[in-house]
Amino acid sequence: MSEIVFKNVSKFFGDTKVIEDLNLTLKDGEFTVLVGASGCGKTTLLRMIAGIGPATSGEIYMDGEDISQVPPGKRSIAMVFQNYAIYPTMSVKGNIEFGLKNKKIPKEERERRIASVAETVGLTPYLGRKPGALSGGQRQRVALARAMVKNPKVFLMDEPLSNLDAKLRVSMRTELIELHRRVKTSFVYVTHDQAEAMSMADTIILMDGGKIMQQASPEVIYNDPDNVFTAQFVGTPAMNVIRAKDGESFIGYRPEKVMLGRNRGGALYCRRGLILTREMLGSETLYKVRLEKGEWEGEEPVNVMVKSQDPGFREGEPVEVSVEKESLYFFDKNENRIRPGGGTDMEIYYDMARDIPAKAGGKE
Amino acid sequence: MMGEEKKKKKGGAIWWERVRPYVMVGPCMIFLAVFTVYPVLNMIYLSFFDYNLLTEKKYIGLKNYERLFFVNVDFWNAVKNTAIYTLSVVILLIFFALVFALWLQKSTVLNSIAQRIIFLPHICAMLSVAMVFQWMMDEKGLLNMVLEFFRLPALRWLNSSATALLSVIVVNVWKNIGYYALILMSSLKAIPAEINEAAELDDAKPLSKFFKITLPMLSPQVFFLLVTITISSFKVFESVRVLTGGGPGDSTQVLVYYIYRYAMTNLKFGYASAAGTFLLAVVLILTVVYFRLPGKRVHYQ
Amino acid sequence: MRRYQVKKILTGSVSGILKVMLCLFFAFPFYWMIITSLKSYMESIRYPPTLWPKELTLEGYLTVFRGLDVGMYLKNSVIIIICIIMMQVVIMVPAAYGFARYSFKGSGLLFGIVTIAFMVPSQVTFVSVYIMFSRMRLMRTLLPQILPFGANAFGIFLLRQTFKQVPDELIESARLDDAGEIKIMMEIMIPMAKSTFVTVALLSFISHWNAYFWPLVMTTTESVKPFTLCIDKLKDLDYGLVWPTIMAGNVILVLPVLVLFLFGSKRIISAMAYRGMK
Repeated sequence: MSEIVFKNVSKFFGDTKVIEDLNLTLKDGEFTVLVGASGCGKTTLLRMIAGIGPATSGEIYMDGEDISQVPPGKRSIAMVFQNYAIYPTMSVKGNIEFGLKNKKIPKEERERRIASVAETVGLTPYLGRKPGALSGGQRQRVALARAMVKNPKVFLMDEPLSNLDAKLRVSMRTELIELHRRVKTSFVYVTHDQAEAMSMADTIILMDGGKIMQQASPEVIYNDPDNVFTAQFVGTPAMNVIRAKDGESFIGYRPEKVMLGRNRGGALYCRRGLILTREMLGSETLYKVRLEKGEWEGEEPVNVMVKSQDPGFREGEPVEVSVEKESLYFFDKNENRIRPGGGTDMEIYYDMARDIPAKAGGKE
Repeated sequence: MMGEEKKKKKGGAIWWERVRPYVMVGPCMIFLAVFTVYPVLNMIYLSFFDYNLLTEKKYIGLKNYERLFFVNVDFWNAVKNTAIYTLSVVILLIFFALVFALWLQKSTVLNSIAQRIIFLPHICAMLSVAMVFQWMMDEKGLLNMVLEFFRLPALRWLNSSATALLSVIVVNVWKNIGYYALILMSSLKAIPAEINEAAELDDAKPLSKFFKITLPMLSPQVFFLLVTITISSFKVFESVRVLTGGGPGDSTQVLVYYIYRYAMTNLKFGYASAAGTFLLAVVLILTVVYFRLPGKRVHYQ
Repeated sequence: MRRYQVKKILTGSVSGILKVMLCLFFAFPFYWMIITSLKSYMESIRYPPTLWPKELTLEGYLTVFRGLDVGMYLKNSVIIIICIIMMQVVIMVPAAYGFARYSFKGSGLLFGIVTIAFMVPSQVTFVSVYIMFSRMRLMRTLLPQILPFGANAFGIFLLRQTFKQVPDELIESARLDDAGEIKIMMEIMIPMAKSTFVTVALLSFISHWNAYFWPLVMTTTESVKPFTLCIDKLKDLDYGLVWPTIMAGNVILVLPVLVLFLFGSKRIISAMAYRGMK
């Protein structure tokens, strides 16, 4: 058991409020990913768990025990830092061994654990080397081994892959997922990369400005976002969110859910538009489409992104943009999601999504 | 950290954590207080006394300063010599340091050898450097042989009041030029290569490149050298003592030598302290000038 | 295009020749020092002087060793330097660590004092220090030449910088590894500052081996004088100036620095450049 509970936690840096009155439970054994833009407070949360950046007020519980006063070295957690924080003057073995030595673990036991961990991460041939002589990927492994060897109840990882090149990053992702499956302890992983979060997490905690925007599995985050922020955070390109006819609520739809055609289809949401740019991605093509002026819209033209299997549209070509009812998302004026069956009369919103009488004549 | 442990640890631990930094910097501060701060204050204090270490010290007010500035002509002579020395050394060192730095900056084998050889005198004892030069500047020494070879009249170098100060200047410039060239070279290296490349693409002539780009970029460092060389020139002593002993006559009498002589030879500590206070004031003013000015006047960094 | 190339080669070779001459100009006094030290007295006073001695002799060196208790002076120099360096390290490490890693009330003021101390010349402090030591009747010991250099302001600067550059994450990581403050200092910070220590020790060695002014004012008895002061006395050893003897002594004085420079020129140059840039 290693459930982590935040209770009314706040954090101030001087007068700057980073986190205010936050309540959160991280489930035992899960791969939890804290994701958000830089400065959203995700690393602050992680450092609170580690005890290296204590909360200004509130309590943090681990297995039901308040750990707010426990020094970092006694928390049975291990942390992998963004720049690995490898002790440059110690050998690879010395690095892995340092924490065990401080815990006064006997020599034979240490040797056994180091050997097994080194085997797991593939560092056995490098144990005698100094960190200076290692590649980025190998340093990453040292940091990982140093964490694993302690058999912690919780692994904390602060953007551990961000210093690796793209290819290595993807392969390390898989390795971390496998590692989690094997050791079955809790992982708390911080990243700003939504793709990383989506691919690794059991639970994603999406943060913005010190607040939790949504805590859910990747599927739920993608398919059933709570608010505009979440909806637009995941997926590339982000969800199109357009102000609705009433001028205060929003309609959203994902670029990959749009059907592009030359003739008007029968979907709930149909708009005429003009292809502005075209980007070939491989199997798909990304279009930027300028929608024709609707009845409510002000001066600003509205552009939407469309991801289509059909590469056949040209720049400057007039097209029909249509989206099925199930793929439409509605948000109220506070950017919170309006869900069907939530007591709200969805018909108002469907009406707004429905056809807008197009004015005659294109832009040309 | 502090807050975290407040509840668990006993009062002693918190107390220790608060006191720890002071305990750590304490020894260093004690040494500085005893051997730097106190001596400076004590010197200023002593400058108001007549004191020779053997008899009781006697308060005489501003008498020492009066003698220094208005009665004894030898003090102003020492200041004058120091000023001439400083001005010459500053101009020569900065000029040659710039020339050498620009000339030897590219990393080639010859340049790196030259850099090292020019730098070497700087870390050798002034004593030895001065003695070799004294030997070469002997009236029957090597330098006069060279002059003779070019059919120039022999000089009396250190033995004539006309050339003695110049000789001291030459020795000091020779010894330290490598060091200052080195400093300028390392700041030249800090100028991004792209700026020079861009200037070359703009077809800048070497001279305009130097005055429009290199010199403005180097200006903080040149200014820094100006101040440090001035300060260190005001402290010139060793070369004077070995080469000329202040002579011939009083022609190479400089400020520190003056202080030294009055303190250690004449045992007039109060009077020497007054002269020392003057030196301190000069150094202090220069330091303040250095810390105040750069941001406003000088470019970049 | 041709002309451009010709011009380039021409200026290049002229500049090269000038550079060689420059080297000769700066190396020659060293050559002259060594050559003179190997000449006989009779040859040394010949005019015009000979650029290469007709006969090489160690006469000069023998006179130095016969005339002076070189061993005693060398011993004094070595003891002084070793004591200074050890004391500086002992004082410098905690001070630099304190200034780099803790924020405490008055730290700005105290560090300001360190900075100012860096600027105060010893030519200003010697009067009071001399009075202080002679009042304490310590002038017959080596202490006046050792104690005043206990706090090395430049060393503290440099080491503080080194400690500050250690990333916070490294220390946090060590804390997560259950290492206490002392362990962090001894096992993480100090090993990382190894090269700073070597630099500081090197510069200390050079400056105290060459020191002349301070020993001159701080010694009244022969038995506490360092090596530089005995070189100073070579002039009075014989009647008149016997240059081979004087130069022999100076060769011995310059030799250690020369050897050091031969092996560590890169480090010395970069340390000096850093000090210059400060």
